[in-house]
Amino acid sequence: MFKERPIVIIAYIVCTIMAVLAVTPFFWVLMTALKPNPEINAWPPHILPEAPTLDHFYRILAEENFLRYVFNSLVIALSSMAAILFTSSLAGFIFAKYRFPGRSVLFAIILATAIIPLEVYIIPLYLMVFGVKMMDSYFSLVFPFVIMTFGVFFMRQVIMAIPDELLEAARIDGANEFWIYVRVVLALSKSGLMALGVFAFSEAWANFIWPLVVVTTKDMYTTELGLATYQRQFFIEYGPISAGAVISIMPMLIVFALLRRHIMKGIATSGLRG
Amino acid sequence: MMATGDIAPRGNLAARFQEFRDSIKRDHLLWVLLALGPVFALFCIIRVYPILETIRLSFYRYHPTQRSRPFIGLDNYWRLLEDEAFHTALINTLQFCVMATVITLVLAFAVAVLLRSIEKVAPVYELLLYIPVVTPWVPASVIWKWIFDPVHGILNYGLDSIGLPKLAWLQDEHVIIYAIVLVSVWKMLGYFVVVFGVGLRNIPDELMEAAELDGATPWQRLIYIVIPMMKPIILFTVIIATIIFFNVFAPVYVLTASAQGAPAYDFKVVIGEIYQNAFVFYRMGYAGAQSVVLLLFVLTLVFVQFTLFRDKAGLR
Repeated sequence: MFKERPIVIIAYIVCTIMAVLAVTPFFWVLMTALKPNPEINAWPPHILPEAPTLDHFYRILAEENFLRYVFNSLVIALSSMAAILFTSSLAGFIFAKYRFPGRSVLFAIILATAIIPLEVYIIPLYLMVFGVKMMDSYFSLVFPFVIMTFGVFFMRQVIMAIPDELLEAARIDGANEFWIYVRVVLALSKSGLMALGVFAFSEAWANFIWPLVVVTTKDMYTTELGLATYQRQFFIEYGPISAGAVISIMPMLIVFALLRRHIMKGIATSGLRG
Repeated sequence: MMATGDIAPRGNLAARFQEFRDSIKRDHLLWVLLALGPVFALFCIIRVYPILETIRLSFYRYHPTQRSRPFIGLDNYWRLLEDEAFHTALINTLQFCVMATVITLVLAFAVAVLLRSIEKVAPVYELLLYIPVVTPWVPASVIWKWIFDPVHGILNYGLDSIGLPKLAWLQDEHVIIYAIVLVSVWKMLGYFVVVFGVGLRNIPDELMEAAELDGATPWQRLIYIVIPMMKPIILFTVIIATIIFFNVFAPVYVLTASAQGAPAYDFKVVIGEIYQNAFVFYRMGYAGAQSVVLLLFVLTLVFVQFTLFRDKAGLR
């Protein structure tokens, strides 16, 4: 865009500084998690641990029950992801490829809720879960995350790109609509499904206020809730806290590293936020 | 996608019925109903109903364990006008939101523009900047809490070693807002760099080259070509960033919890107040009124966006 030499040099300098600033805190938390206690408070700080240890990871995973929290988070994030992929692709398919009375009204109703954050209507959601006595269960933890307005919109965009002729050809071959949904539509929107899947997984994994509200026993803590609570109670124990933070970030980073191309494409086509 | 059949002649009931039956079959209406029905019902239960119910609750005194839930009209709203904690929260949140939005977007725009000058390596930078975006708020805030530590934190070590005074980042009521802004900018920058990047790549090279041939300086090209062409995307990002930052809660929850012996300053934000009133004191009606204020704020932003975009199709 700007090919002038000084600008190119400035670009390298500024962008490198920003990238380093973006990554340094991760480096630092990992180093802290690996340092034995006396080294954590060393002054001046040690950049690299002199005697690296996994004690903090052991402590947080085994003694503080974080393994259970990670398991809970995985159950919630994976069920939410599966549900959102299913509901979004199905509704997206219908809105993209069928004509029926009231289509634009229904779509408008769904879209109208897109921008309104969960925090606005969290009280009635809580009262519903409270009313059916489902507090403190996987059901209540996943419940608000089985649908995603943005997912419907996104899958509709993805599926609209599938040529009608393909669907017609399948119909002529005698396929029913459900078969078309599974074997044609889902098969042809894999890249979109992956981007949405990552997004759905991370939304459910990262959500904090909902578990904070519906979870009442430690056994149902998610990783986020466990970490937030732990660091409130043991604020001096930076070793285990850092290990907990590393554990909480890991799944996101792994997923991101594996699927980064799909994610970046998703953002480019639709403003998807990861 | 499919041709709609001719409308049956008026008065001929049998034909119209036949036409209706045909349309069910031809347009697969049964399948549409079976497939969309349950999903739409979920939307009504999980989104539409709770949003309307929040508004209804705000006119009641509502405690989940008490039988009596009297309708009290606008009383909750009158109370909001006198609630100083809520006013503080509102002012704090607005201040934070404006600062975080402006800094994030200005920085992100600058980085995104600069990245276009080094397009070959840009994806690597975008990837690195995106790592904080995929990091959930809680661990992100936990990481920074240790960096902000007044005694052993690396940030104060840095300030100290270049001869600047150390700061009580999380304990000083005037400083904590900057600490939360810093975390938020760090966390969200990458997302906006990528979004701006998409828009910037769509600006035709010929336009820039033509301006260059005409002797326009880089600064002039930025002001008169790039920024005007990016206007719709800039507006979109302003709305998105404002909504994200206005909903700040997890970093406040983590960073204001007692830090290293000294209690951190209790920085109030809107979501924090809703949380406290609804789920600590169980004043659900009152918290509902606070949620409605939040809802109105979001709707105003959306309304502004729609008015400004009215003639532009392809809303994101």
